[in-house]
Amino acid sequence: MMWRLIEHKQNDAFMNMAIDEAVSESVARGESQPTIRFYGWAPEAVSIGYFQCLGKEADLDNCAREGVDIVRRRTGGGAVFHSSGEITYSVIAKEGLFPRDILESYREICGWIIHSLSLLGIESEFKPINDIVVNGKKISGNAQTRREGVLLQHGTILHTVDVERMFSLLKVPDEKIKDKMITSVKERVTSISQQRNISWNESYDALVAGFTKGKEFGFGELSGKESSRAMELSRLRYSSKEWNMMR
Amino acid sequence: MRCEEKIPGGKLVCVEIWPVQSGAGRPKAGSVRVSGDFFLHPEDAIYAIEDSMKGLPLDSEQDEIRGRIQEALDGKGATLIGVSPEDIARMFIKAVEG
Repeated sequence: MMWRLIEHKQNDAFMNMAIDEAVSESVARGESQPTIRFYGWAPEAVSIGYFQCLGKEADLDNCAREGVDIVRRRTGGGAVFHSSGEITYSVIAKEGLFPRDILESYREICGWIIHSLSLLGIESEFKPINDIVVNGKKISGNAQTRREGVLLQHGTILHTVDVERMFSLLKVPDEKIKDKMITSVKERVTSISQQRNISWNESYDALVAGFTKGKEFGFGELSGKESSRAMELSRLRYSSKEWNMMR
Repeated sequence: MRCEEKIPGGKLVCVEIWPVQSGAGRPKAGSVRVSGDFFLHPEDAIYAIEDSMKGLPLDSEQDEIRGRIQEALDGKGATLIGVSPEDIARMFIKAVEG
């Protein structure tokens, strides 16, 4: 099985989600190879899970003031602040390449991240349902969907993390306990740079090595059809109020 | 009417009910929303789950609510992760009880 590797590139939030869907459609039609894609977010963004209520998860005023985009994902899971300190990936392939059991398929793909971190000298473990932890602290969150016979899993690996900024953009249930929450999240979240003095580039290279280990792969780009479909999905769905405010 | 819970070993889930009362009959769930950071494959089965509780009398038994949700899931061939039909049914009742 030949995989396509699309190297790290920054896009806005709407385009990032649109590309994942356009590639999924193309893989479903058998027009594209199974794909591993790395990407970043410019401007910074908050993504929320498919089933979350936008107003409950993101501080809309602060996001607008800070120029932070907000997008609803087509996957479940929680709200995530995407800064330049993280690396996001997506894996898009026919379902048949992965275990049928959803948790097992999380475990398999998360295993690629765990292997990547081990290349950096960081020991981590899968914490079901969808997290990877280092000494009990979360370093990576992941979300998966399966449609039309295609599995899409995307997730983030923290290279650096700024919890204060994260909490200025995400809503907290009770402002009175915000400081306490920040302290508690700081105790529960970690990043590659907190574990070891490793540059973003070294981290990225390890992820590429970890994700492609044992696979035949070639570096590739989006096809023209995928690009134009992604632009369409970005405009019509992911940047639309109807989609983002649907809950 | 609202109940929010972090499911032990699972996800954060919120069940909201907007009740309706027609005539002298038992008050019913006019509409229901289930939100949170759980997973559901396929995602659009959420509408079938929510619709399955629509019109249920607010004093329905937990088993009946669970059965409706399970039926909706089966009809869509859907899988819930991080919350169970049982949890949602229990939260429906807690939301009603306030």
